[in-house]
Amino acid sequence: MTTSQLVAAPKFQPGDFKSDLKPIWCPGCGDFGVVTAIMRALAALGRPAHEIAFVSGIGCSSRIPGYTTAYGFNTVHGRSLPIAQGIKLANPELLVLVASGDGDGFSIGGGHVAHVIRRNIDLTYIVMDNQIYGLTKGQLSPTSRRGRKTVTSNLGSLEEPVNPLLYVMGYGASFVAQGSPADMAGLARIIEEGIRFPGFAFINVQSPCVTYGEEEQQLKAQKTRISSLESIGHDPSNRSRATELAREYGTKLYTGILYRNPNPSPTYGQLVTERRQLLSKDAVSRQELLKRFSPE
Amino acid sequence: MNQDLIIGIAGAGGDGVVSAGESLITAAALEGFYGMMTKSFGSQIRGGEASCRLRLATSPVLNPNGPLDVAVALNWEDFRRFGAELPVQAATVVIYESKTGVGVDNLPLEGVRPAEVFSVPITDMAAHNAGTDKAKNIVIIGLLAGWFGIGRESTLAGIRKKFAKKGSAVVEGNVRAFQAGLEFAEAHPLQEDRKLTPPQKRRSGRLLTDGNDMCAAAAIFSGCTFFGGYPITPSTEIMQFLDREIWKYGGTVLQAEDEIAGLGAVVGASFAGKKAMTATSGPGMSLMAEMLGLASIAELPLVCVNVQRGGPSTGMPTKAEQSDLFQAAFSAHGDCLRPILAPTSVGDMFGITVESFNLAEQYQTPVIVLSDQEIAQRKETIDPIDTSAMQLVERRRPTEAELVSYARFKLTESGISPISHPGMAGGNYLAAGIEHNELGRPTANGEMHAQMNEKRFRKFNSLKERRDLFVIEGDPDAPIGLVSWGSVAGVAKEALRLARAEGLRVKLLIPKLLYPVAEPVYQDFFASVKRGLFIEQSFQAQLYRLVRMYVDVPALVKPLAKSGSNPIQPLEVLERLRAMVTALQGNRNHHQPELIEV
Repeated sequence: MTTSQLVAAPKFQPGDFKSDLKPIWCPGCGDFGVVTAIMRALAALGRPAHEIAFVSGIGCSSRIPGYTTAYGFNTVHGRSLPIAQGIKLANPELLVLVASGDGDGFSIGGGHVAHVIRRNIDLTYIVMDNQIYGLTKGQLSPTSRRGRKTVTSNLGSLEEPVNPLLYVMGYGASFVAQGSPADMAGLARIIEEGIRFPGFAFINVQSPCVTYGEEEQQLKAQKTRISSLESIGHDPSNRSRATELAREYGTKLYTGILYRNPNPSPTYGQLVTERRQLLSKDAVSRQELLKRFSPE
Repeated sequence: MNQDLIIGIAGAGGDGVVSAGESLITAAALEGFYGMMTKSFGSQIRGGEASCRLRLATSPVLNPNGPLDVAVALNWEDFRRFGAELPVQAATVVIYESKTGVGVDNLPLEGVRPAEVFSVPITDMAAHNAGTDKAKNIVIIGLLAGWFGIGRESTLAGIRKKFAKKGSAVVEGNVRAFQAGLEFAEAHPLQEDRKLTPPQKRRSGRLLTDGNDMCAAAAIFSGCTFFGGYPITPSTEIMQFLDREIWKYGGTVLQAEDEIAGLGAVVGASFAGKKAMTATSGPGMSLMAEMLGLASIAELPLVCVNVQRGGPSTGMPTKAEQSDLFQAAFSAHGDCLRPILAPTSVGDMFGITVESFNLAEQYQTPVIVLSDQEIAQRKETIDPIDTSAMQLVERRRPTEAELVSYARFKLTESGISPISHPGMAGGNYLAAGIEHNELGRPTANGEMHAQMNEKRFRKFNSLKERRDLFVIEGDPDAPIGLVSWGSVAGVAKEALRLARAEGLRVKLLIPKLLYPVAEPVYQDFFASVKRGLFIEQSFQAQLYRLVRMYVDVPALVKPLAKSGSNPIQPLEVLERLRAMVTALQGNRNHHQPELIEV
């Protein structure tokens, strides 16, 4: 890279990725911060909006693609990952972002997470984890704490919550991070790093629900207990330490990159491209396709 | 001499029953015969019972059904398990393994005493000549070649080719087994010559293939570069073929974690601008419903092949049925319409698959292809397919001018809007499962929802005018009309020909476009019809009921419908036709009340 490129003005400003659609979110919703952080990351990356596909499922968080200028696909509940992987495999050149919430990502769509991880498809998966179903007005979520009272757990939840960080670490994710709108600069940075990471990147965002969330989840409370992984000296290439720290989900609020595989396996897209290149010489013309069915 | 020969062979899994059928149909194809072969199994993975039906003829074979001319039983328990799939009648030549210990006058067949029965030491002949009883099927090929004149040279060449890799000793052993069968047949001639009339032409350019392979080849021909799916009987061969081939054409096969994810990935690939498909069977279709609805509202092209099997639930995975039509038409909630196409034969599967990609791209919609286990997995000799005459349709891209203020879901006169894809500058839009306005922005406005719903139905108006998606045969003014679809249409065709040969005035309508119901086609067809039948392989007669939702079907047109794996026989249809002719004549002669006009 030449010096002139280094000092040149950035190609894009965060505002270039902002659509004129007005968010449906409640005032003060954590998701405002997430969309801002995403736009900052995209500006830093410098890819034009038409080369970005932004996929989501259903929930407050899943409205996010429409608030950006990227190609958006607001799909159905829990299925953002399968649809996003089809997009990425059909056109590996695209930058594919996926956004979802804790219900979308770890309840109805939880079964897809393991498979997209083991395929190592080059997607960046941002889960806005607010431990509640906000869009449908306050029902229990898979990340709600045991004992939590909601309109569908009036006497208190009888279930242990899913630990999203441990869940993806368990399936061998190569890039795992956690952020919060309470630290906007840090959140934008880990989203940018996740997108740059060659392979599947998971980012859990503690994005509070101002309407149905509990007091200690709100940004104000988060600021008193947030602790950056960098500040505690965590080495993101240390998988076993990362797993230990992941266990503290729900008790401690760590932000930053929890794990980044120093030797990630090739992405599915790379392997697919190699296979296509290797076999393209064997293609026969359309007219000759049927010859193989001759009984001769 | 014989123009049409139906052979049924049954034994235990591992007896080589299907392999014998494949050798025979290949040899017959090389000799210039037309042929059709169906396989049937219990659902065990190994072992269990296996059978094949082979129908060979000098003209194209329309269906594999009909009573057997020849029955071969390696053991009677397995033979009897196939019931009505292998019907033996008095004129059937029965050949069976003498080791079964059954006397020729004492066959375990109820209500029938075949005139010609041969107890043959098949296993001993195999062991003696080839040194292994694995060559039982080769002995059977020899017997059938001898008695029924199915090309000795081609059969022998086939055996040599098949065993070439195993060394000359194995080749020669099998050749001896074949000759032993042949010599046995020559030493025990049939009461009358039942050899097939040799075809006039040998080299024909014909193909020998099955519906699943034709579907996969047509997908590649159509420019499909993405397959996402989950293995399921009896559709899996489509995925298997594409996994061997699609990479060569810049494509990808993704074996997903379930059918939801499989079709989800297809929806994604289509959004990214590629032609994409999945293939499945009923249980997979049940899981795919939400993705079909999403593709309908987001107006994304894709092809979904359902190779039907017996249902509901797990049902009968290895047997054909036509009971998923309602599901294809009505699965996914809300008001939506998806074209449904059905092939009528193995050869037809190629063109129908190409047509399904074309319709998907043209109308920006999921298209369902309703194949069935029989078409999917039967081997058939088909006439050459002229692909040079086939046009491929691409989706309607936005022009430069349209991209200036791009409206993805523009309410156009045709209902079809320009579609961009990620990577196309200026075409950025939000696709969604939620209702949207012309720009793709979410809306909860009832007026906009009504307009968008209307648009998503209106765009199919021109599809109902595609009369080339219907086949009509027979006397155009006939008072008797048959309607049939899918693999069963071949039975109806044969019945029509038999009836017309008797001078009966009958016609037949075969819709390849099942949905939307093209009202004008049915109205025109039924204009002359007083009586008739919908011939279908489902308990509910699903096409009959679907058509009646849209068309006033004459009251005396009734369903002839059976649950899967109980074959509908051409002769059974013929009997019904004769009865209808009699009834019509009776009405005319006796002025029965139903014809009196008030």
